[in-house]
Amino acid sequence: MSADASAAVPSGPDRRPPGWRAWALLAPMVLWLLLFVVVPAAILFVYSFCERDEVGGVIFTFTWENYQRVLDPVYLRIFLRSIGYAGLTTLLCVVLGYPVAYYIARAGEQRRNQLLLLVMVPFWTSFLIRTYAWITILKQEGLLNGLLQSLHLTVTPLSLLYTPTAVVIGLVYAYLPFMILPIYGSAEKLDHALVEAAYDLGAGPLRAFSSVIIPLTMPGIAAGTLLVFVPAIGMFAITDLMGGAKVPMIGNVIQNQFMQARDWPFGAALGVVFMLMFALTYVLLQRRGARLAA
Amino acid sequence: MKLPISSLLALSVLLAPSALTAAGVVNLFGWSEYVPQAVLDGFTAETGIKVNFETFASNEELLSKLVAGGGAYDLVQPSDYAAEVMIRRQMLAPLDPAKLPNLKNIDPALMRLPHDPAGAYTVPYMTGTVGIVVNTGKVHEPIRGYRDIFQPKFQNRLVVLNDSRELVTWALYAQGLAANDVTPANLAKVRPLLAEWVKLVKVFDSDSPKTALLNGDVDIGVVWSGEAAILWTQDRKFQYVLPAEGAHQFVDVLAIPAKAKNRDEAHAFINYILRPEVSRLISAAFPYTNPNLAARKLLTPEELANPASYPKGGRLETFRDIGKTATVIDKLVTDLKSAL
Amino acid sequence: MKPAPSAMIELCGVTKRFGDFTAVDDVSLTVRAGEFITLLGPSGCGKTTLLRLLAGFEAPDAGSILLDGSDVTSLPPYHRSVNQVFQSYALFPHLTVRDNVGFGLRMQRVPPAEAAGRIRDALDLVSLGEVADRHPHQLSGGQRQRVALARAIICRPKVLLLDEPLSALDAKLRHTMQLELKRLQRRLGITFVFVTHDQGEALTMSDRIAVINRGRIEQLGGAAEIYHRPRSPFAADFIGQANLLSVTVTGRNGLTARVRVASGLELTISALELPPAAVKALISIRPEKIHISRQRPEAENVFEVRIEEEIFQGATDQLLLATEHGTRFHALVANESAISEAFHEGDQVYCGLHFDDLVVVQTE
Repeated sequence: MSADASAAVPSGPDRRPPGWRAWALLAPMVLWLLLFVVVPAAILFVYSFCERDEVGGVIFTFTWENYQRVLDPVYLRIFLRSIGYAGLTTLLCVVLGYPVAYYIARAGEQRRNQLLLLVMVPFWTSFLIRTYAWITILKQEGLLNGLLQSLHLTVTPLSLLYTPTAVVIGLVYAYLPFMILPIYGSAEKLDHALVEAAYDLGAGPLRAFSSVIIPLTMPGIAAGTLLVFVPAIGMFAITDLMGGAKVPMIGNVIQNQFMQARDWPFGAALGVVFMLMFALTYVLLQRRGARLAA
Repeated sequence: MKLPISSLLALSVLLAPSALTAAGVVNLFGWSEYVPQAVLDGFTAETGIKVNFETFASNEELLSKLVAGGGAYDLVQPSDYAAEVMIRRQMLAPLDPAKLPNLKNIDPALMRLPHDPAGAYTVPYMTGTVGIVVNTGKVHEPIRGYRDIFQPKFQNRLVVLNDSRELVTWALYAQGLAANDVTPANLAKVRPLLAEWVKLVKVFDSDSPKTALLNGDVDIGVVWSGEAAILWTQDRKFQYVLPAEGAHQFVDVLAIPAKAKNRDEAHAFINYILRPEVSRLISAAFPYTNPNLAARKLLTPEELANPASYPKGGRLETFRDIGKTATVIDKLVTDLKSAL
Repeated sequence: MKPAPSAMIELCGVTKRFGDFTAVDDVSLTVRAGEFITLLGPSGCGKTTLLRLLAGFEAPDAGSILLDGSDVTSLPPYHRSVNQVFQSYALFPHLTVRDNVGFGLRMQRVPPAEAAGRIRDALDLVSLGEVADRHPHQLSGGQRQRVALARAIICRPKVLLLDEPLSALDAKLRHTMQLELKRLQRRLGITFVFVTHDQGEALTMSDRIAVINRGRIEQLGGAAEIYHRPRSPFAADFIGQANLLSVTVTGRNGLTARVRVASGLELTISALELPPAAVKALISIRPEKIHISRQRPEAENVFEVRIEEEIFQGATDQLLLATEHGTRFHALVANESAISEAFHEGDQVYCGLHFDDLVVVQTE
């Protein structure tokens, strides 16, 4: 997505400044962004320099203390672990999602629409219900253990739920569609003649894939990475429900500040750092995309 | 003490109900899954007063909303320590005993607790404890207290509340301290013990700890007594034990905010709840400990025999507000968990 | 040592179907090494499918394909010494011109030093040394076309396939490129298989032309042969312009025969290509072979016509002629000078046709 944007910057007469009509059309969007993105972000930013009072209210003052606490090894370690989990999730989503997205993009139109529908079907049910469904599958006396035992593949039930594996399964399951859809968008636009050209010039399927298909669908992979990696860092429901809340992620820590610990300023500081990380990821991906498109 | 996940919607501060000052309305802000619909319907049918019911999922959500000045409520349902904060901040209106003739039904032992020493602001709604539930089908050793369950042999067989203060409290009890002895020195003292305990736990869950026990993923839990009571009704193998070292008792109360407009209706609602036959309905739906002695007389022998609802003896303490120390506790537990 | 095969490409009974549609229908064709052959036909005739079969993008349902003596029928494209210039050029947008051109060498793991030299040579060959570091979207249409060409020839393929490579260029550039391609082919000595629907292009460049219609080769031959002696009404009509006349054979006289058009016009034609048993025939007359004059000309067939319509076309005038019987012809006359013998609508003139220029394209 970033690559496309930078390659398609219009020049010449199309680059007139927008007139009042354009602004009128944009107004609802601008208002929405202002109310629900800019203002909350500003509040978060202001809170992050405040102090907590005795009952958990916010005292308006100016202090760097919250940011100093963010740098405490306890929280840095959690940040790193969250990034690790999110990175693994993103990697698995790419590995699992790419073939699916590519296959859908290459399928006939009718079949393509059916398959896309299947990718989106999970969104018709609440996220929590789907997560509980996974609990039913993975629990000690659950469907998977039942299946394994009835097939005599295992004797004692496997401990699947409340493990890091369960967390990764949950994360990958939750975010896979967000990887498939942008990659599909890129792969669908890919001119098949380019793949044939690669074959024609002596590239076998693997080399055609690595030197032509992957680079040309990179905008989709980048967009998918952004859509998966960033929210996966902050996810707390899955680590609670499927991981047994054992290993805290940065999302859990932030949640705790607004709930149990009632320390909104510290939570806000963590949130601001989190947003900066998002911005950094975005800029890095955009740079890479721009370089590819240049 | 349920579902903190949905409660992150702090934005709901903006979406508080419009104040209905018209007679015949009471705006109730209570726990989700804690007030049976039949009770609300019964009240409206009898008095003609309409109940606008909004829910929260944690005391913190309730406090956040009220401290921020949101919501025009006539009746709120905090737990003891949250009520203490509200009383201290003068956020509650004193009750008028003349309008609450049914108050006589309440167990005197549950009135005038430290959070409301004069008993002027709050009326107990339900009380409960945090104790140990054991799947006796799998665990045959005698279990008496915290030290019996936080053992290497029970590693990965434990579910405990995902609540930093609860964890710290158990460790304080195990060290012979009291629930509210939360000082930096004492926290340093319990830290090594907690570090060992945290490694043994398989699941931390405050929302529905009974699930892991029912699913067979764990065999022992430290949970809300209401959860344990439901487990017992489903299968008698789930036995409830009040830890010998001491246990946290919570009292969820009804109170009227200082800004409430419909105080008469709020009093009428409290008085209605205090009726034995109404209170009895609540016990049937949510088997915590009913503070209403008259209502207890209406319970079935089986309900009264539920060891989680009506435990015998035990050293019980309610939580006091600990102010900023909450953040220290949170960091301590986060640190120990992330070392796993 | 095996003797050099005379044939670079041999197609034997190749058939390709897509569902109920037969795109290529039992085609056999032999292409000599170093030959420039054009597959000419309208869109949908199967010429592109034939090319894709040669490239290896499609597998035939029947028949076999031999390349330089070895069977490649089931060989994937990346194992065939065949390269293609795509209609859309199919340049890799993420690679520079240099990397596009060098792609094939990289796939063959040619050492970088050697590859650099060959890339430079290939770019020089198409005069693109200046733009080696640009990306395809920074090039003009003609430049992209040259990059595609350089990329396809750098691996020194035995056969170069060109799929309407000039169709996206403007008329003038197209003409320049036609000549350049022809020169390049002679210089490299590579066998070219060129696909086009443009008969002018085919006539200009090819050693031989295969006229393709409905999945079959209608006629195969040199440009002049195809033009002057079309063997089917389709070939006559598709290549250049043609007046097609249905005639009945009325008599034979050694090397000539008399035929009559339905309207009553009688003509003398060559009997060489008229089978003895033929009763009816379809004959083709090229418009430029019709000689128009105000004086009675010398020819086997001379008759009077009226000019019904005149269209000025620059170098030539197109005339619509009608005989007294009502038979109509299109004729082309050169505009030799602005003032000489100009023809106008309504003029009554003579029309002369040599019997050699009346070509039998079909008989019954």
